[in-house]
Amino acid sequence: MPHPSVFKDETKLDINYTPPKLQHRSFQLQLLNQYFRHSVEAPGEMTQRVIVTGKVGTGKTVLAQHFGRGITHEAQQRNINLHYVHVNCRQNKGSFFLMLQRIVTRFHPTFPKRGYSAEELLQTLMQILDDQKAYLIVTLDELEALIQNEGSEPLYKLSRTEETRERAPRRLSLICILREPSWLNKLDASTRSTLQGNLIQLDSYSKAELEDILNDRLRLAFKPGNVAPETVTLVAELGEEEGGNARYSIELLWRAGKYADTENVRDVLPEHVRKAAGSVYASVRREEIAILDLHRKLLLLGISRRFQQTGGAHLSMGEAEESYRIACEEFNKKPRGHTQLWKYLRALASLGIIKTELSTAGQRGKTTLIGLPHIAAADLERELIRILQPTVRGYSR
Amino acid sequence: MMIEDIFSSRGRVRILRILSEIGELNISEIARRAGLNYSTTNEHLLVLEKAGLIRHKTFGRIRIYRFDETDAKARSIKNLMELWEQESGQKTGK
Repeated sequence: MPHPSVFKDETKLDINYTPPKLQHRSFQLQLLNQYFRHSVEAPGEMTQRVIVTGKVGTGKTVLAQHFGRGITHEAQQRNINLHYVHVNCRQNKGSFFLMLQRIVTRFHPTFPKRGYSAEELLQTLMQILDDQKAYLIVTLDELEALIQNEGSEPLYKLSRTEETRERAPRRLSLICILREPSWLNKLDASTRSTLQGNLIQLDSYSKAELEDILNDRLRLAFKPGNVAPETVTLVAELGEEEGGNARYSIELLWRAGKYADTENVRDVLPEHVRKAAGSVYASVRREEIAILDLHRKLLLLGISRRFQQTGGAHLSMGEAEESYRIACEEFNKKPRGHTQLWKYLRALASLGIIKTELSTAGQRGKTTLIGLPHIAAADLERELIRILQPTVRGYSR
Repeated sequence: MMIEDIFSSRGRVRILRILSEIGELNISEIARRAGLNYSTTNEHLLVLEKAGLIRHKTFGRIRIYRFDETDAKARSIKNLMELWEQESGQKTGK
């Protein structure tokens, strides 16, 4: 009989889901709220431009969306007609026209798709805002695409359009999201001067921060107790390796859940994460394993088997050595000494096949902890046996 | 304007039905959906606007029409259109 799904609501792991609470970005959220305070306290008095930068998966989009939701809610309570529109420049092919159209259709869903220029559309947008006595905060996400496609013009027009409307209320504010602030150097000096000033830089998430984010999401997405803490730790580790990428981590957790469901089991284990990571990025290639010398292969074989036995996220150096010796015995090979094995481990780690780190609190003494982040242990064992079988005599399994 | 002037024209009724269904539209789109040419559509729209049933807003070169919700006759016709569609849908099982 099929086991019920590990998920309670997997949509909570969707890339477009905005969680009710924003983890580790409260300072930046407060800062955004401060920059746009005038929108709810003195609407129409001034306009604002803020730039948000940070690497992939550092929470730029979710920060802006969270802010947008909060400020429109506050405006509603104060009877202010404030709208927030989030536009992704890349999805709109870096076209100013398409982006403006997207914004205008928020107010007039059946607005015609052809028959006017981007400039006319911008004028139309301002007219709509005036007619409806509305205020608008537009977020231009992945701004690089717009700069690459159209250069300075769109941003210049957007930021200067208010200046041509003398004595009219200020209705349009901007949030620009981009990965690298250096993209702004591609803009001409006058456009740059209108944009720069308010810069919010998002740093990469640390492993601990990623764990908090993941724990938050798993409470919403998974049934209670279905995801082991060490599964979360492993996902966070991998997310940290991917540049502190929360989006990658959340997707990986979802994928691991899918593997658990496919195997019809109740718990999402580190092995599911490894399988999921293997399916996302083929980091460990067969050729890399094939060219390893015999003892490195045997060490990997021992490690892969041990991971399958323990089901954990890490192995100690001692556990790896023990399993390696068993593998040597099986293949009639004299095992190498501890120091040599330690060198092998370092070499395997530098190839990215395994991951090593020093143990910290909670363990006596210090040992090297071994992780297998990118490939499922069972897949690795299968591959190693396939390679070792014809080359090693006396193999009897 | 007499009520017959509105309802005697199949084109005008079609335009009213489209606007009650979609909410607001520009002339070209109304013409396309009604299966009429641009100038005929424009003439019908002028008549309907003169009767106080619809109104338009101009954005640059674009005119967008909608029912005039402030007019009691317009609201009644819109309700009739909606009811008619609903009933017809139920009868045909759509």
